[in-house]
Amino acid sequence: MSKKAIVIGGGTAGMETASQLARLGIEVDLIEKQSRLGGHLNSWDRLFPNRRDSKEVLEYLEQGLSDGISLHLNAEIEDIHKNEDGFSVAFRDGKALHSDALVIATGYEVFDARKKEEYGYGIYDNVITSVELEEFFRNNKQKNLFEGIKSRRVGIVHCVGSRDEKSGNLYCSKLCCVTGVKQAIEIKELMPDAEIFCLYMDLRMFDRHFEEMYYEAQEKWGIQFIRGRLSEAAENTDHTILIKLEDTLTGLPLKMRVDLLILLVGFVPSPETRRLAKMLGLKEGDDRFLCPADEHTITNSTMIPGVFLAGTVKGPAGIASTITDARATALQVANYLK
Amino acid sequence: MSDLYNKLFEDVRFREGLKACLNCGTCTAICPAAEFYDYQPRRILDILQTKDDSQIEELLKSNTIWYCGECMSCVTRCPRGNAPGLLIQALRSLSQELGYFTESEKGRQQLAIKRTIGKWILEYGYCLFPSEIMPDMHPEQGPIWEWEHKNIEAVMNRLGANYKGTGPGILRKIPDEALDEIYRIFEVTGGISRFEKIEEFSRKKAMEMGMSMEDETNQDYMKFIYTADSGDHTRKHEN
Amino acid sequence: MKIEGKQRIWMDYQKEIADDHFFYVRSCVRQNFFPGSEKTFLRILQSELQKDIYENPSHTTCSGIGYHTDIVPFETSMTMVARQFALMTEAGYENLATSCITSFGLYSEVLETWHHFPETEEKTREFLRRATGREFKKPNNVSHASDIIFKFRKEIAEKGKYRLVNKLTGQPLRIVEHIGCHYSKMFPSKGVGGAEYPYVLIGMIEEWGGEVIDYPERRHCCGFGFRQYLVRANRGFSVSCSKKKFESMEPYKPDMILTNCPGCPMFLDRWQYTISEMEGKTYGENGQGIPVLTYEELSGLVLGYNPWDLGLQVHQVPIEPLLDKIGIPCDPEMKFRGADGQDLGEPESPSYMKFYSEKS
Repeated sequence: MSKKAIVIGGGTAGMETASQLARLGIEVDLIEKQSRLGGHLNSWDRLFPNRRDSKEVLEYLEQGLSDGISLHLNAEIEDIHKNEDGFSVAFRDGKALHSDALVIATGYEVFDARKKEEYGYGIYDNVITSVELEEFFRNNKQKNLFEGIKSRRVGIVHCVGSRDEKSGNLYCSKLCCVTGVKQAIEIKELMPDAEIFCLYMDLRMFDRHFEEMYYEAQEKWGIQFIRGRLSEAAENTDHTILIKLEDTLTGLPLKMRVDLLILLVGFVPSPETRRLAKMLGLKEGDDRFLCPADEHTITNSTMIPGVFLAGTVKGPAGIASTITDARATALQVANYLK
Repeated sequence: MSDLYNKLFEDVRFREGLKACLNCGTCTAICPAAEFYDYQPRRILDILQTKDDSQIEELLKSNTIWYCGECMSCVTRCPRGNAPGLLIQALRSLSQELGYFTESEKGRQQLAIKRTIGKWILEYGYCLFPSEIMPDMHPEQGPIWEWEHKNIEAVMNRLGANYKGTGPGILRKIPDEALDEIYRIFEVTGGISRFEKIEEFSRKKAMEMGMSMEDETNQDYMKFIYTADSGDHTRKHEN
Repeated sequence: MKIEGKQRIWMDYQKEIADDHFFYVRSCVRQNFFPGSEKTFLRILQSELQKDIYENPSHTTCSGIGYHTDIVPFETSMTMVARQFALMTEAGYENLATSCITSFGLYSEVLETWHHFPETEEKTREFLRRATGREFKKPNNVSHASDIIFKFRKEIAEKGKYRLVNKLTGQPLRIVEHIGCHYSKMFPSKGVGGAEYPYVLIGMIEEWGGEVIDYPERRHCCGFGFRQYLVRANRGFSVSCSKKKFESMEPYKPDMILTNCPGCPMFLDRWQYTISEMEGKTYGENGQGIPVLTYEELSGLVLGYNPWDLGLQVHQVPIEPLLDKIGIPCDPEMKFRGADGQDLGEPESPSYMKFYSEKS
């Protein structure tokens, strides 16, 4: 009898793991709770570092899905557990599936910026998140956003919900910095005479071409970088936003009026991931992301034989590394099922 | 680790207030003292983290640690869970214990506070008492206070106080047994010792500066520290 | 501004406020500058709400102002607090009701410190025993008096005779609410609504018909700063902080300012006068400043108490324009008189912020 694997999560990691498993001759059930595949990839417009269209990546992943994969959309999991002969997944609508191996690829959520109360998200009109900005770009709605902005000053706030004991997340979300620099350039493209300020604590430009993008942002686009964590945002009578921070490089407190404030929200472990992990007895780190069996050498398996991890369930990661990670997971699953 | 750092570490507020600072500036951004004085709470943590004796000593002797208004706005915001406001309290305590406070203009003011608030806590059992808040020392209290002060008993009576009376009520006479207890609390916990140190070190400084400290007659030093302002506490602007 | 956003945040910070049987500890500043407020608080709790609230005459200052001017060591303040707890325990009470916000902050800080550093609690017990022979139990609940008024705001509204509505325009009064720093900045979970958008005063304003104004410097300290006010050389800091707030709230045209800390209304009131004398500038309408009230005074007005019983005559910023807006009558003849109607003279008139001398 052919070996079966269930991949939970139809985002970047889930899709690629499923494709690779199918190519290795394993029967795959790909489970997705929403009505379409792609996960967060559906939210982005252009991807760093080269600003290519995210749709191209989604197309690539979709084309990889062969007939050997059974797709289950709108599938909400009620219960999941391991028994003698593998894994049982029970759905809310009463259906059930069984498999010999399980891949958790349920991904992440973005930090709910309303929790950072002093930034006024959800309260002041001109405070939005980076995710909403991507949506504007994607749906060509930026006209609505930038219309009516007078002096065209935009503030981009780094580390929202990350590196912050007050938000409950001590970790760095890694990819917000490059997102901020990318979005700064994209806004400047639309509004050449805009003044754009990136308000950062550190600039985490760690991957290939990231540092060069930072240089380009300064040299070609005139984006300004102020080293200071945003302390507070308030609304003026004309609905512009008054921000308070310290320019730590000059050691001077700074108050500025901006027309638009963009919050770079970080990664948080998705509640669904945590729920499934609890049911299976998977280990969570202090940061609430899931732990693989070994941090360095066994990064795609868990301590539970047959349960594997792919993608951002393990922590913040970009699309390229997630796709690579997913392929590694497929290999581990295949080896296990031999 | 330096001797001064160790001494600071004995204060639980120091341990509570200094985890690890990454110099993000959120505290300084929101600090009212940073708005008006040449002061950045971030710099305080930066210096303390070095654990460098000479820098800490300089801090304890400077005006810097006396600018804070202890509003604790910094505590609300720090992403690392530090509390600059608590560190200021620990620094101020140590500065007084060691006598360093008399080296700075703002630090010297502690005597004025000890001789007012400190005196009233032990004498009345309250931090403030109307008969002690002289309108001419507090013109900002306005003509309303001047009027109230002049008619204090009648006004207190009108507003339902039990001014200097026995039993419960507003501004009652706090029973002598209670005042004795307070005094003994101050004695056993080091409060009296702190008061004495403030006096003793101030006396030394007054002598150095050629001023008198006697309460009744020549009040040079008290008046001096209460009003002295070098004008050197705000940031210099280029234009 | 979307108010629903704030409402979501408020729901995250639900604080437990005791319901009855309070041990009341007074405020140094409130007793000195707003005695009518403490009187009114007890009147409301005892006569209107039939609550048991008890005051031990032997209780003293918590030493908060001494602590925050750093002349009183932390151990001393902890033991002063412990003594208050001992009196509470002795009287058989478990719920502490504090009149002062600095006290509230200090009690919270001491209890948290004992929790995180248990050796400090041990030491304090020993100190208290040595100094006074007393033992204590920690309170079950520590609430500020404004929390309690907040808790019973609906009952007060039901008994209320007035709403916070401008009777000339029919519009709700535009009210700035100012929360004392030590209420929730150090421990957001101890404040109703947290530290960024505390709800304790907003709840009262909304329940009693007013409209809350948000303005950029809403969270800014009034500037008391303890030593920054108490020593003359430092007072510039104090008045500058208040001025910052006034400049920020002015475009929003508030009808009044509501506070819960005892120091804040004193500063927001007197600094308006001081700024007018220093710079000739007044805030609010007709050069008469923006009236500043304590929550006890506002509760009393809503309940229809005599403004001069509440102590509104000892404010520097004239209160009558606000009373007129609400439609509350007051007798100008009796404003500056004693309990038996005796003539106590009148305060001098400021140069710019004129007293309200006409009465319609």
